[in-house]
Amino acid sequence: GGHTTEILRLLSCLSESYSPRHYIFADSDKMSEAKIRSFEQKRAETFSNSQFTLHRIPRSREVRQSWTSSVVTTLYSILYSLPLTYKLKPDLILCNGPGTCVPVCMSALLLGLLGIKRAIIVYVESICRVETLSLSGKILYYFSDYFIVQWPDLKEKYPKSVYLGRIV
Amino acid sequence: FRFKDSLAEDLGRADLVISHAGAGSCLETLEIGKPLIVVINEKLMHNHQLELAKRLHRDGHVLRCNCSTLVETLQSMDLSTLKPFPPGQPEKFALFLDKVVGIQ
Repeated sequence: GGHTTEILRLLSCLSESYSPRHYIFADSDKMSEAKIRSFEQKRAETFSNSQFTLHRIPRSREVRQSWTSSVVTTLYSILYSLPLTYKLKPDLILCNGPGTCVPVCMSALLLGLLGIKRAIIVYVESICRVETLSLSGKILYYFSDYFIVQWPDLKEKYPKSVYLGRIV
Repeated sequence: FRFKDSLAEDLGRADLVISHAGAGSCLETLEIGKPLIVVINEKLMHNHQLELAKRLHRDGHVLRCNCSTLVETLQSMDLSTLKPFPPGQPEKFALFLDKVVGIQ
């Protein structure tokens, strides 16, 4: 719930150029679809040519799931998200921390390495993260093109990150 | 209360909010400008979940206590010491992203 609310706030000031928008979330997520549709509906009132799609992928990891089983489930999620990412061929991937973003970004990186499609990966760490990064953040700090944090302590600890202040 | 869709209505009518240290609860309350006392139970919550509540307290936006000091806090609190919590600025993110992708 928190991740979706945050990412919709991030999208709130983006121009019409950021279209079509493809939302990817976990199959176990019951609440995000309604929030996204509501956001897009409102957006359609201002921007006439608003386009978006929704996609569900298997959840890569449950909270506090063990390491070994997490590797297996994440690999499964990567296998699942690879054809999806190949189909969508995004120019830009925006993610903010749920486990779902890691397999999607890994798929995009692979497609880039294979010369099929190079996406810009922008990661925004949650506002809840003041002193430490989430697990997704720790991984994608090394694999994203732009890594944004919302508190100065994190900027100090992770010098390659971008600090714009609070943006949600 | 258990599974209300939104607490916005109740928050709107409140003069004071007492909450656990969950990020959503803290932010929602601060954003509508209500005074907030955060009750921290270090045994129940994991370190990273407390980061935001502790930071908000450090910056003077919320009062804090634990379960046993709640009554005392309510008796001696001075809500005028609380600093307003300015909203986030997604427009800064939009400007940044436009530069990244090359939009003028």
